[in-house]
Amino acid sequence: MTDTSIDKLARATPKTVARRIKGLSDRGIAWLFVAPTIFLLLAVNIFPLIWTIRLSFTDFRVNRPNRDVEWVGLRNYERILTDPDIWATMQATAHFLFWTIVFQVLIGFFLAFLINKKFKGNDLWTTIIVFPMMLSPAVVGNFWTFLYQPQIGLFNYVVAFFTGVDPASFSMIGSVNLAPWAIVIADTWMWSPFVMLICLAGLRSIPDSIYEAAECDRASKWRQFWTITVPMVLPFLMLAVLFRGIENFKMFDLVVQLTGGGPGNTTTLTSIDLKREAFERWRTGYSSAYAVILFVTVFGLASIYVKALNKVKER
Amino acid sequence: MAEVTLTGITKRYGNDVALNDVTMTVPDGSFVVLLGPTGAGKTTTLRMVSGLDTPDLGTVTIGGRDMAGLMPAQRDVAMVFQQYSLYPHLTVRQNLEFPLKSPILKTSQKEIDRKVGEVGEMLQISHKLDNKATALSGGEMQRVSIGRALVRDPAVFLMDEPLSSLDAKLRADLRVELKSIQADSGATLLYVTHDQIEAMTMATHVGVLDKGRLVQFGPPREIYEQPVSIYAASRLGQPRINVLPAEVFGGAPEGARTIGLRPEQIRQGDGEESRVERVERLGDQTRLHLRFKSHDIVTVTDAHTELKPGDRVKIRPEKPFYFDASGARLA
Repeated sequence: MTDTSIDKLARATPKTVARRIKGLSDRGIAWLFVAPTIFLLLAVNIFPLIWTIRLSFTDFRVNRPNRDVEWVGLRNYERILTDPDIWATMQATAHFLFWTIVFQVLIGFFLAFLINKKFKGNDLWTTIIVFPMMLSPAVVGNFWTFLYQPQIGLFNYVVAFFTGVDPASFSMIGSVNLAPWAIVIADTWMWSPFVMLICLAGLRSIPDSIYEAAECDRASKWRQFWTITVPMVLPFLMLAVLFRGIENFKMFDLVVQLTGGGPGNTTTLTSIDLKREAFERWRTGYSSAYAVILFVTVFGLASIYVKALNKVKER
Repeated sequence: MAEVTLTGITKRYGNDVALNDVTMTVPDGSFVVLLGPTGAGKTTTLRMVSGLDTPDLGTVTIGGRDMAGLMPAQRDVAMVFQQYSLYPHLTVRQNLEFPLKSPILKTSQKEIDRKVGEVGEMLQISHKLDNKATALSGGEMQRVSIGRALVRDPAVFLMDEPLSSLDAKLRADLRVELKSIQADSGATLLYVTHDQIEAMTMATHVGVLDKGRLVQFGPPREIYEQPVSIYAASRLGQPRINVLPAEVFGGAPEGARTIGLRPEQIRQGDGEESRVERVERLGDQTRLHLRFKSHDIVTVTDAHTELKPGDRVKIRPEKPFYFDASGARLA
């Protein structure tokens, strides 16, 4: 034990460095190593957070730095929470969040279930299915605008083919009723593969012998699915939902590219609205309050959810 | 309960022949132990009977019914897996109830509770019934997995090394327990192990497998006393049979290449001289490691022997086995 590699390393350390290190305790050295990270974290995460909270109580405007800043207390919060337009964007976000998760979980799990069957070329299929995920959201948004084009769009054509309606009779992006679904469909197309990958990891973690035992115990395929597959994949699935939920709460690029928040405000999700308040209308104090409200919401929902997830994992 | 027959079963996995023309009959109510080292085809045999795998050639019947094309569920078999295969998100009780909750059976909850209680008692896991299956030790998991088979009343029990991860005492207890369950209920049991003590103590019949072939099948006593080959002879008996060149003692029959000597086939006190190398005192018996004409021999002697390393002992073979060049025994 006397000649471990650490000892060798210690002996190899140049004398001058060794002397300088000598004055430091283990704790001191530990601090030395984490200090850069802590500094970075404070500078780009913690400080802006605190600064945002401070600004949210003022009427500061970043494009008028010389104007006197007035302390307005909770007035920003009051205005936001009583603004029906903001509630409408919240609703649009909730709609988007709910349906993208529902569809992505169903489609993702179904795809994973199929891909998990042993058949020839399933690696190739996995790669093909995962492809949308690798594209940039801006690109995806852009080409879905083409797919949704009433005259030449493939999406309209396919819908027309199956339902018989005139493809030019509806516009996914232009219609107030359809636009919220247009963004749900595009996002689902892009991100279902992600849910599939995570579900696949879950499915692959179930040993064959458990199914074999169930087979001998005379459990039907249906019962095997509900008593083995679902409970054992559930923690994975919930993790996928958490990722997708947080991501979609912040959804910006894809929707901006696809609908720009329109028509009207029907697809103006909170992050799009927030960006307009902050960087188009330059109401910095007001938008800070907005950001704080969103932060608390997503943080609160996520922590409730993580608690539930841990409970499922323990089972 | 039912008789199980295998006729000409052959199974290949790629280029590996897992089973090669295996034919055997597991009589109704018998306790058949398949013995052999890893890769001999023991587990594959169980999988053929259970229906988890299908043979390339040959037929399996249970209770006289051809099993071709039938799923495990249709064969009425209960299997204990070597890797436990418990349902990890369920409690011990739910695991034990699982086979009884099959809609085919329609067992009343009262009956289920009674059976689960009984099996829990028998396997000493009553106090763990409400634990998660994953919160158990390896030995407890294995007992639950045995219990999951025992709650049922199948045509045949299939057990794949069910006692391998238990400690010595529990293993001895369960050996007795399993044997008495089988004897009392008249269940047919096909049991895989590489532990010869399990084979000797529990089996009514032993099947010796070697590289996918069934080399000998019969009562354990018969396999011990009338082995067909060196391989079969060295599966049973502790210390293992000593195999020496046939000519070291003289008197070998025509064609004999080797002589096989179990401890009781070595008469001590007369014959040719050997040197004691080591004396192992096991309490109830003492093992002697002997050096004889540059060959090592292990035998058993009186527990209170005075012999010490370096002493000379005269030995002589008594009704030994002779084997030919291929390892087969000469009658």
